[in-house]
Order: sequence, then C-alpha cells, then structure tokens
Amino acid sequence: METIRLYLHSMRMLIRSQMQYPASFFMQTLAQLVMEGGEMMAVILLVDRFERLNRWEAGDLFFFFGLMSVTFYLTECFGRGITGNFPHLIRTGQLDTFLIRPRGTLTQVLCSAVDPRRITCIAVGIAALVMGCNMSHVLWTVPKVFLMAEAIACGFFLLLGLFTIEGIFCIYAVKSVELVNALTYGGRSACEYPVDTYPRPLRALFTVLVPFALTMQQPGSVILDKPLFDWPAWTAFVSPLSGVALFGLIWLWFRKTMQYYRSAGS
Amino acid sequence: MKAYLSAFRMRRRLEVQYRGAVLGGIICQMFFGLVLIAVYKALYAGKPQSMPFSHIASYVWLQQAFFRMLLASDPDLLDKIRTGSIAYDLCRPLNLYGFYYVRIVAQKLTGSLMRGVPMLVFALILPEGWGLSMPASPAGLCLGLAGLMLGLLCVSALENITMGFTMRTLDSRGMQGLLNLLMMTFSGNILPLTLFPDSWQHVITLLPYAQLLDTPIRLYTGEALPAEAPRMLLIQLCWTLLLTALGILFWQRNQRRIEIQGG
Repeated sequence: METIRLYLHSMRMLIRSQMQYPASFFMQTLAQLVMEGGEMMAVILLVDRFERLNRWEAGDLFFFFGLMSVTFYLTECFGRGITGNFPHLIRTGQLDTFLIRPRGTLTQVLCSAVDPRRITCIAVGIAALVMGCNMSHVLWTVPKVFLMAEAIACGFFLLLGLFTIEGIFCIYAVKSVELVNALTYGGRSACEYPVDTYPRPLRALFTVLVPFALTMQQPGSVILDKPLFDWPAWTAFVSPLSGVALFGLIWLWFRKTMQYYRSAGS
Repeated sequence: MKAYLSAFRMRRRLEVQYRGAVLGGIICQMFFGLVLIAVYKALYAGKPQSMPFSHIASYVWLQQAFFRMLLASDPDLLDKIRTGSIAYDLCRPLNLYGFYYVRIVAQKLTGSLMRGVPMLVFALILPEGWGLSMPASPAGLCLGLAGLMLGLLCVSALENITMGFTMRTLDSRGMQGLLNLLMMTFSGNILPLTLFPDSWQHVITLLPYAQLLDTPIRLYTGEALPAEAPRMLLIQLCWTLLLTALGILFWQRNQRRIEIQGG
C-alpha cells in the first residue's frame, strides 16, 4: 500500500512540474496525436483497399489496433521510468541515489518519471476500440468487460517486463541497447494485427516467447466472438496471466542483475 | 569550398564511430521489414491488387534501408544555441546555412549507407516474394539512383527548415516531432504511398515528402516507367531549389535577430 501511495504522490508531483511549460507540453502532445493518428490512418487506408485480413474484418482490425495502442501507451505513460529514462539514470550515475534509500529500486525507477503527453495516443486507441466494437457489433456482458480490463492490465505488465529487459542490458552495457526495441516497438507494430497473420516463426515468437497473443489477442478475440485459438472459453481468462508471470520472472532477473551494477557516475 | 568539404568529411567520420549501435539498428529495421511484408502478404492473399507484390516487398525494403536518411537530425546545433556556443559558428568565415547543410548531408548519407548496404544485401538473398527484387531495368536503376541523390538534397533542405524553427523557439521538440511525423506518413515509411487510395496519389506524390524516397523507389521498381522520369526528377529538383531558397531566407532572418544565450 505504502508503495502505491508513494507512486501516486510522485505522479502528482511530476505531472505538476511538466505543466510548468504549457506551450511546449501542448505542442508535444499534439505531435503525439499526429503520430498515433498517422498509424491509425495507415490501418484505415489498408482496410479501405483490402477490406479484410484473412478472417478478420475491418471492425476486428480496428479493435486489435485500439487494444494494442491503449495498452502500449498506458505503459509508456505510467512506466516512463523504465521505458524512457532508465538508460539516462545509468549513464549519469543517478541510480546510485536510489540504492541508498529504503525502497525497492524498480519502485523508485517507476516513480521517477511519467509521460502525460501520451494521453492523446491513448485517446486515439480508445477511439479505435469504440469504432471497432461498433463495426463488429460486440455484445457487451460482464465477463467480457472483465476480460477487456484483464487484457489491458496484463498487457501493461508484459510490456513493462519487456522494457525492463532493455534496462537489464543497459546495466551491463551502460549504453542503451537498441536491439531490444525489436521486441518492444517491434512487438507493438506486429501485434497491432492478429498473430495468425504471420508465418510460423513470428507467430511462435509472439505467442510463446513474448506472449502478446496470449495476453491481449486471445481475450480480445473472445470479446469479438472469434477466438484466435480453438481452446475452451475459460482459458481466455487464464492466458493473460502469462504476461504477469513473464514480468515476475524478469523482475527477479532485474534484482539479480542489480548485484552486478557498477556506478558509471563520478 | 574546401572548408565545406572538410566539414563534410569530419561529420562523416563522426557518424562511422558508433558501429555497435548501427548493428542493433540494422537488426531492428530488418525485423520491422519482415513484419510489414508479412502483413501486406496476408492482405494481398485476400484481395490481389493490380500492382505485383514484389513491388511492395521492394518498396518496404528500400524504405527500411534508407530510414536513416529521413530521421537523422543534428543535435549539436540545438545544444549550441542553448549554451550560446553558436557564437563560435557565427565567427567562422562560412555561410552558416551552407555549413550545417553540408553536415546534415554527410550525416544522412553516411548513416543510411552504413545501414542500407548490409540490409539490401540481406534483402536480396531472401526468398522470392519476401525480399528485394532486381531493378526493373538498368535505366530504372540509374534513374532511381539519380532520384535518390536529389531526394537526399531535398530532405536535407527540409531538415534545415526544421532547424530554423529550433533557432526561434529554443525548445523545438514539439515542432520537430510534428514535422518528422508528417515526413514519416507522407514519405511512405508507415505505409507505402503506392497503397494509399488511388485518388490521393495525384496529390501526395507532389508533396515534398514524396520526393525523398518514394520517387526513387518507384523508378527502381518500374512502377514509374523511365519515360515518366524527366517529369518526376524535375518535380524533385523544383522542390529542392524551393526548399533550399526558403531555408536560406529563413536562416538569414534568424541570424539577424539571434540572441546569444549563456554567459
């Protein structure tokens, strides 16, 4: 509880400090809107030209796109400490100050930054979700609402875990390792579309190794009444937990790696 | 002239330094390329288009290979303006615009060659339908290369206009982000311009963003026949001249009212 209180307190402080430069904040938020709007326009134009992707129709595609962008940008917004700032903390040696405080390192890293500019990206994602639900005539029930919340929450942890891997490499290498971007940003771009679009190796990568399909797309497809995998219905409630489990493993790895941390600051 | 050449050479050497980062970047770009091609392939299977799929695959690879040409900017200038060391640059017996123009050309050229050449080799050996196809004709290749050179000059002129905004506002992340994103969308990086609705094609191919990579790629794949090349290259040339002229005027006005920060 204490951790959550601390986190919320830091978020409030950080957001207030960012609002000190309203003009710059506004421009950057607008830029984010154009960025995510551009991505969405690409999906709309593709749907306009091709009508469907295998068995997925226009509404389904907007739905998957929206699910991914809401989750991804929630992570970028509230997990900014990991997704953006961590290499900077390592390079400048600021991480040292975290080590002498009586709180967990990862907690403090998460408390160190927030990115409220992403709000427009999240809004675009929500718009896509609503559009997708309407076009695919989704009938909402209580379990489906629960599934949706679960998918987004578990996807959040999965993405946070993937960005933490980048942090772990960064502890060893001091410099940020762009290679992991293939999993994080690449995963986002790839899993805006249902994984059954891809040839087997890529499908396996995003189902087993980096379970975007299990965490977000299986529950998503059940909401659309077009299950991605032919499994019993209850599995959709269990499969998202794989994202949280992966985050747990990566968190243990992170703690292990912190033992080898050598300060780069002076 | 000699001074500009050595500025070019210095910048090129700096760009070659970070080889590790380049390797990571290449692998990332390749991954993105494969994912995009897989999506377009699945879409094509559902509803084939008049344009052969090999053109789309080549389009994606060429865009990924020259990605660095679009998105490379010079952070030095921003720092110099913020710290006030721009004063040193103002003392040089060189045209400030020319100096930075040469630097940005060097950065974009070196960066994209270092990344592009290995990627294109990889894309050429990929199986049929996944990789880069050979150019439509020797003439197409030559015209494509000429278009690429003009595109490089054009994108550098665009970059310098963005920099002009940086000079004005000190914190230009918003403006820069906005212009970069327009570039990503309308240069065909997010979605090949050839897949935009046909009715849009007439307009978007005339925008300056289409001159950077879209024109050379169309000439390479044979989407545009060599007979159309003179018209396309002329549009590129016009945009390059216009943007350069605008940039020079913009910078001159900025220089007249520049304030040196710091102390």
